Amino acid sequence: MGGDEDDDGIKLYPSSGELPPPLRELLEEGEEVVAVARSDLVGDEYGEKHVVLTNKRLLVLNERLEYEVPLSKITMASLRSYINTCVMALDTDEGPKSVVVFTKARLKAFENLVSLINNLVVGKIPYSLLKRQLLKRVKAEAERKSSKAVLLRLLGLLKPIAPLLAATIVVAVAMRLVNLIPPYLMKILVDEVLTTRAHVEKLAQIALSLLAVNLVNTALGTLNGYLSTKLNVAVANRLRYKVFSKLQELSLSHYDRFTSGSLFSRVIDDVNRIQWFMTGSFNMIFINAAMIAFIGATLVTLNPWLTAIALLPIPIAILGSAIYRRLAARYYHRLWRRWSRIVSIVSDAINAAILVKSFGKEPTFREKFSESLEEYERAQMDVFKFEQEIWPAVGLAFTASNILVWWMGGLQVLSGAMSLGSLMAFTSYMWMFYTPVFSLLENVKSLQRAAVAANRIFEVLDLEPEVEERPHARDLELGGEVECENLWFTYDGVHYALKGVNLRIRAGERIGLVGPSGSGKTTLVKLLLHLYEPQVGTIRYDGVDVREIKSSSLKRQVAIVLQNPILLDTTIAENIMLGREDASPEEVIAAAKAARAHSFIMRLPEAYDTEVGSRGSRLSGGERARVALAAALLKNPKILILDEPTAALDALTEEEVTEELERLTKGRTTIIIAHRLSTLRFVDRVVVMDEGKIVEEGAHEELLRRGGLYKKLWEAQLKGLTRMSAAAVSEGYAR
Amino acid sequence: MHADNILRELKMLDPRHVRVLEARLDEVDVEIEGRVYCGVRPRRPFPYSYPEIVIFYRDEEELGMLRDYRKLDPRSRELLERVLRIIYFMPRVKKILGVRSAKGKYEWRVVTDKGPVTFYTWSRCIRLLRDGRLLIRDADGRVYMVEDPEKLDSKSRLYLSMMM
Repeated sequence: MGGDEDDDGIKLYPSSGELPPPLRELLEEGEEVVAVARSDLVGDEYGEKHVVLTNKRLLVLNERLEYEVPLSKITMASLRSYINTCVMALDTDEGPKSVVVFTKARLKAFENLVSLINNLVVGKIPYSLLKRQLLKRVKAEAERKSSKAVLLRLLGLLKPIAPLLAATIVVAVAMRLVNLIPPYLMKILVDEVLTTRAHVEKLAQIALSLLAVNLVNTALGTLNGYLSTKLNVAVANRLRYKVFSKLQELSLSHYDRFTSGSLFSRVIDDVNRIQWFMTGSFNMIFINAAMIAFIGATLVTLNPWLTAIALLPIPIAILGSAIYRRLAARYYHRLWRRWSRIVSIVSDAINAAILVKSFGKEPTFREKFSESLEEYERAQMDVFKFEQEIWPAVGLAFTASNILVWWMGGLQVLSGAMSLGSLMAFTSYMWMFYTPVFSLLENVKSLQRAAVAANRIFEVLDLEPEVEERPHARDLELGGEVECENLWFTYDGVHYALKGVNLRIRAGERIGLVGPSGSGKTTLVKLLLHLYEPQVGTIRYDGVDVREIKSSSLKRQVAIVLQNPILLDTTIAENIMLGREDASPEEVIAAAKAARAHSFIMRLPEAYDTEVGSRGSRLSGGERARVALAAALLKNPKILILDEPTAALDALTEEEVTEELERLTKGRTTIIIAHRLSTLRFVDRVVVMDEGKIVEEGAHEELLRRGGLYKKLWEAQLKGLTRMSAAAVSEGYAR
Repeated sequence: MHADNILRELKMLDPRHVRVLEARLDEVDVEIEGRVYCGVRPRRPFPYSYPEIVIFYRDEEELGMLRDYRKLDPRSRELLERVLRIIYFMPRVKKILGVRSAKGKYEWRVVTDKGPVTFYTWSRCIRLLRDGRLLIRDADGRVYMVEDPEKLDSKSRLYLSMMM
C-alpha cells in the first residue's frame, strides 16, 4: 500500500467528479465538502475508507455510510499513533469515539484533516475564512504539481534577464553554426582544387576563409563565455535573493515546520541545481535542436542513403544507455554504500575516540576498517567490469555504421555518383551529428531535475506569513498591562500546546511562570511577542489587540531572553546593541554590568570588541545567557520576559543575577519562567501551568498552603537540596 | 535604566581629577580624586571601536572609567599612552611583500611600522572592522592591523583581496 508519491491521501475542496459515489446522494442542500481523506486500512486489512469533512458534518464512508456526526457535537479531534498505524479519534457530546485507522503513510493527510476539524470546532474559525485560505492553498498546490506550470513560472521569474538569456542562446547557436563551415570548405578544397588541380586561386581563398572562420569563432567563443558567466551569476543571485528575503518574512512557525537543514538546502542546493540547469542545459536545448536541424539537413543534401545508415546506431545507443542506467544504479549504489561504511568507521573512531580507546577497541576498529577498504575495492572493480560490458558494444555499433558509410560511400565515389569531397564532408558532419542528439536526451533529463528543484523553491516562495500585521496597525506606547483571553495554540495542527489560557497581568507586576517541561510556558511567551498567531483567542496590551499593534513597536518595548540563547556571529558589543542600535558605549557597558557580564567580558583581551564565533560558540552557555540578558536590558523594555534566565549559570552567578534582576524588574512588567523556584523569590504572583493550561495562581505561600502542583514541584526541589546537604554533612562526619 | 543611574554604575571619572604619576610596563600609578593608587592597569573595553575609553583596574577592582583619556593633562596622557602601547601592542601593516601557501598555512611577509615580519595564518584570518580597518590574525593568535587597505600599494591590495 501507500500509493505513488504524489498521492497525499487528502483532497481539499474536491470537484464533484472526485467525490466517492455514495457521498453525492448523501449531501444535503447547502452542504459543501471541505476535505476528503482516504484511509488505507479497513480494520486490520488493507482497504480504503473515506473520511469526509463538510461544513456541517463529519462522515465515514466504506462503500456506504458507516458513521456520521454533526460538527456541532464534536468538541475536539485528535490522533493516536502506534508502531505502524494511527487512529483518528473524536471527543463528542456522546463521549469519545475512535473513527478510523490508517497506516503512517497517511499520517500527514489525517493531521491536515484533524487540524481542519479543530479549526472549525475548537477554533470556531468562521467557515468562510477557512474556505478562502484553503482554496488559495489548493490552487497553489495544483500549480506546483504540473511541471509545465512550474517551468513557465520559473521562466516568468527570470523575465527581467530574458534579453541576456536570448543573447546567450543566439551567440551560442551562431558559434556552433560557424563550426559547421570548415568541413564544407574542405569539400570544396578536395573537389574543386586538389582533385582537379584547377582553380589554384581558390586555394588561397579557402585558406583565408578558414582563417576568417577561425577568428570569428574565437570572437564568438569569448562573447559566449562572457554572456554565460553573466547569466550564471544573474540567475542564481536573483533566485537566492528571492528565497532569502522570503525566509526573512516568514513566521517562526514555518521555521519549525521545515528543519533548518532543509531550508538551508533550498536556499543553497536547489538554487544551485537551477543555476546549473539554466546555464548548462537550458540554452543547450536550443543549441542542440538547431544543430540537429542544420546538420541533419546538410547530411540529407549530401546523401540521403548514407544518412539513413548513419542514423542506425542511434537507437542502439539509446537502448544501451537505458540498460546502463538501470543496472548502473545497482553497482553505483553498492559502491556508495561501501564508501559510507568507511566514512562512518572513520567518524566513529574520531568522534568517539575516548570510548574506543578507553575500551581498548583500536585493533577491532583497525580490522573493521581494513575489511571495509577491501570491500570498497571489490565494489569498485565490479563497477569497472560492468562498464566494460556495455560501452564497447555501443561503440561497436558506431564503428560498424561508420565502416558501412565508408564502404557504401566509397562505392559511390568509385562509380562517380558522389564526389570524394562530399564523402569526406559527410563523415565529418556525421560525427558532429551524434553529439547534439545525445546531449539533447541529457538535457531533457536535467529539465526534469530542474523542475523538481524549482518546485521545492516555489514551495518556500508560496508560504504566506502567518503572523500578518493588519494594514492599520499602529504604534503604541505600552503601559505594561497584558491580557490573554482563551488562547489555543498548536504548532503542528495536532497537539495543542496551549488549551484555553486566560491570564491578566497588571502593569508593573512580576509574574513567575512555572510548570513541568512541555507545559506550554515557552509557547505562551512566544505568543506574547506575537512570533506566532494563536489559532484561537486574543492577546491584548493595555486593552489593544496585539494584531492592531505594529510589530516593530511591540518588539521595541517587549524584550525576551530565551533559554540557551544563540548569538550572532559578530562582536559582543554588537550582540548587546541588538537591544538598541544607537546605544552609546557607556550604555553597553552599563547593560553588561547589570547582566553581570561586564567582568568576564573585560577579562577577554579584546573585551567588548571580541568576536563570539558562529552562534556564540566561543562563549560558554552562562556567558551567552548574560550577553543576551544585557541586550534585553539595553532595550529598557516596558515588558521583560525571561525564559530560564539562570539555567546556564553556576549557583554563585545565579545568586548575583537574581539579585540584580530583583532590582531591575522593580516597577516593570516581568514574566520569568523558571525551573529553579529559588529564582522566583521576588515575584508578586506565581502562575503554574500544566499540559497547556493554567492550573494554579497566587503568591508563593498561598500556593504552598493549597498543596497542589506547585507544592509538589517545590518539595521535589527541596528534597534534592536536603539530600545534597545531608550528603555534605555525613561526608563531614566521615572525615 | 536611566541616564543618571548609568553614570553612577560606571564610576565615570572626570579627566581633570585624574593624574597619571608614573608608568611601568603595563602598570601605572595614578591619582584619582586626590587618592593615589599604585599598580593600576588600564584596560580598553573597546580596543578597536572606542580606543579612547579606558577603565582602570587594581587587581579585580574597577577604579573608574575615562570616557576619553586624551582629555588628561599632556604629561598624564603621555605616561598612560606609553603603557597602552605595550598592552595594546599592534603592528600596522605598511606593505605586503608576499603571501604563499606553506604546509597547510599561509606565509605572509609584510613590512609593518615596527619593522619587517614574517608570520603564518590559517585560511580564515582576516577580520573586517566596522570602520573599514582590517585585522589579520596569525596562527599564534597575534593580530596585525591594516589601517587603510585602500591606501596600500596595488600588489599589497591584491594579496589582501586574495585572502578575504
